[in-house]
Amino acid sequence: MTVTTEMPTAPLMEVRDVAVHFGGVKAVDGISMKLEPGAIYGVLGPNGSGKSTLLGAMTRLTPMTRGAFVFEGTDYTRKPARAVHRMGIARTFQTVRLLEDRSVRDNVLLGVDAVGRSQRKEAAAQVSDVLERLGILEIEALRPDELSYGMQRRVEFARAIISRPRLLLLDEPTAGMNSAEREEIGGLMRQLLAEGITQFIVEHDVQMMVDTCDRLYAMNFGKLIAEGTPTEVVRHPAVQEAYLGKGAGQHA
Amino acid sequence: MSTWYDMNVILIQTTLTTLLLALSIQVPLRFGVFSFAGVGAFGIGGYTAAIAMVRFEWSTWPAVALGALLAGAITLLVGLVVQRLTGLYMGMATIAFTLIVSVLAVNGGDWTGGAMGLYGALGEISIPQLAVVVLVVVGLLQLTELSSMGRRVDAVRDDPELANAVGVNVVLYRRMSFLVSGLIGGLAGAMTTLLRTTITPAEVNFHLVIVSLTAIVVGGSRSWVGALIGSIIFVWLPTWIAFVAEWEKVAYGFIVAAAAIYLPNGVLGVIKDGWHRFRTRDERARAAAVAEEA
Amino acid sequence: MQDVLNAATLGSIYLLFALGMALVWGTIGILNFAHGATFMFSAFIGHLVTQRVELPMLVIVAIAVAVGAAMSALTQLLAFQPILRRAKSQHAAEMRILIGGIGIAAIPLAIAQRETRSSPFGFQSTYSAEVMEIFGLRITTTGMIIVLCGLGIGIGLTVWLRQSRRGLALRAIGVDPETTAGMGVNRPALAFGTMAVAGGLAGLAGALLTFQLGAIAPETGDQLLIKAFAIIVLGGLGSMAGTVLGAYILAGAESFVLEMNWGTWVDAVSFGLIFLILLVRPQGLLGRKEVRRT
Repeated sequence: MTVTTEMPTAPLMEVRDVAVHFGGVKAVDGISMKLEPGAIYGVLGPNGSGKSTLLGAMTRLTPMTRGAFVFEGTDYTRKPARAVHRMGIARTFQTVRLLEDRSVRDNVLLGVDAVGRSQRKEAAAQVSDVLERLGILEIEALRPDELSYGMQRRVEFARAIISRPRLLLLDEPTAGMNSAEREEIGGLMRQLLAEGITQFIVEHDVQMMVDTCDRLYAMNFGKLIAEGTPTEVVRHPAVQEAYLGKGAGQHA
Repeated sequence: MSTWYDMNVILIQTTLTTLLLALSIQVPLRFGVFSFAGVGAFGIGGYTAAIAMVRFEWSTWPAVALGALLAGAITLLVGLVVQRLTGLYMGMATIAFTLIVSVLAVNGGDWTGGAMGLYGALGEISIPQLAVVVLVVVGLLQLTELSSMGRRVDAVRDDPELANAVGVNVVLYRRMSFLVSGLIGGLAGAMTTLLRTTITPAEVNFHLVIVSLTAIVVGGSRSWVGALIGSIIFVWLPTWIAFVAEWEKVAYGFIVAAAAIYLPNGVLGVIKDGWHRFRTRDERARAAAVAEEA
Repeated sequence: MQDVLNAATLGSIYLLFALGMALVWGTIGILNFAHGATFMFSAFIGHLVTQRVELPMLVIVAIAVAVGAAMSALTQLLAFQPILRRAKSQHAAEMRILIGGIGIAAIPLAIAQRETRSSPFGFQSTYSAEVMEIFGLRITTTGMIIVLCGLGIGIGLTVWLRQSRRGLALRAIGVDPETTAGMGVNRPALAFGTMAVAGGLAGLAGALLTFQLGAIAPETGDQLLIKAFAIIVLGGLGSMAGTVLGAYILAGAESFVLEMNWGTWVDAVSFGLIFLILLVRPQGLLGRKEVRRT
């Protein structure tokens, strides 16, 4: 454990000059960020801008080319993916990834199956509560293929928060949901924040990000092109250009 | 009851040994590892136990234990070597390992008795003792199917990346599946050999792979219960249906092919699905109503 | 030199057998475990027909090719196609196709074993092999036909896959099935055709080997199956030229082992090769990494 002394408030998570190259493709090319505890961060970017790859690298599932990740003062760049979850970082996936032969309840419990025994017991006691909050308690015995897409996404979400992570990484959490469901998930995210779960969202839906996030980053072609409050970032000419094409910036 | 038992003693014995062999193939499959090394372990266990008894005059149970442990250790080593192979490549590499075991047995000279095999390994294993061993194995496997452990194993098989993301040590689990497969396969081989008192290289062949696969595929590959169902069907069907006895191998071909096409999770899968649908009928109706509203 | 020629004949038999398997596996991604049974049963039907009438060689070969093509096409239609349609993932489909193939293979094998009581069978033909002498080397006319067929079809198929439009479509399916489907390639039809061609090749190999040896046993197909797998892995999946090379390398290595009087070790050559290649150079001698589809 390395404790940084020069910073009065150590950031929860630090991304230092991270790059992920696939052969000649620079999917992520030198990204640095500092996430302070107690906020919802968002990374905005069109499809293929590298934001999901960045999230993959943060969980160590995607091998990185260079850079470092520091979580709560611990550099975990060389740790395996399975250690990331135990450190207190949980994630959801862009596409729904649930165990198809398992019930909703089992799928949610999987989120704490590989943590310490005491934490597992604690979480198991709260599982009904988590299911309730996500509106899936009534259908806890069903299997994923018996649920609507929106419901499946809620199960994913529940699996990620059951372990009470200190940092929650969300890969397009409301994709495929209708607007009522989006609002509900947005509300839940604010609620989780109040309970001390810092969140990091990757998303291409601008409205959802502006409504939910405290601070935004914008990515394109593997690089950060803007950062600031949601309004600042959305108005940034480079972001306008990335989203609407060249020349759009002046008219907006 | 006791006359039934006396009449069917051989079938009961075969069911139990087939179950053990099937489990040695099923364990890696449950962990998403397409390994048939368990059949090679069967050969190693069988030969080791027979050699220990015939050449070194060991008694039955130490010979069985040595066979199982040696088979487990060698299978684990094979697992370490082939672990980065995936899917069919893993399958074929482990089949190659199994067949190499048989070639080694042919060329083992006095030790293995060459192509003629080893005779006179007069083990003293009673059916109740065999049943106890099977019960212990099944009991331990049941632990890997329950609650937290069961979910982790399912995740390692169905979505290793997800398993990693929730903190499961996928590589370690898969390695352990080789060890367990080898131990059970070795146990099956040692006990089968000492019960029959002989083992020949021709027994450790591709056919044995098919026998164990049949039992698992027909019964169900996700649980020891499936392997048990499969072993019972495999061993007893010919005694129930005369037509099957006459065309035994043809019938098994049809059954295996049909199961692969129509019942990917075997008989047990059908039963489980049916039970699940029955149990959740209200909930599914409610979920459908919610979906319609939205 | 005589040894080299004998090895070339053996290699050509391996090649004819392996080409069909390599074609199907390297393009439409199906490892057909019924290929060996197709091979054997084609020759077996030829045997049944010639028990009634004595036929010229060409007619027997034509019958075997037709039977092989029909069997293989039926396997695709009745088993593999339904599995591909139902399976949720590539991984699940692979395993079920493997098991389905094993099941289907058991049916013709059991029928042939029953009819022949597991003894070798041959043809009654007007053709009789003669020994030719070229540059002091002795080869039978059958051997000559086998070498010419093996090399001719091997090279022909390699060139055809590289140059023709349909060959391109097939190779594209091997690399990226989804995109290819989007570009208007009819995958089921192409798969059906490819399986039929592969079956025809199996039938050809079956008839020619039976002519060469005088008789083959029902189990011959199963033994060749593992050898063919070794050849494909050695040459590199997706590379026909690799398959040609692999067949002759394996035949050469086996001939060498036989020449040295290590006859009982001959099967270990292919099993050992599988192991070695998968570990040292998993993409094979001439394979490219991106073509591997596990």
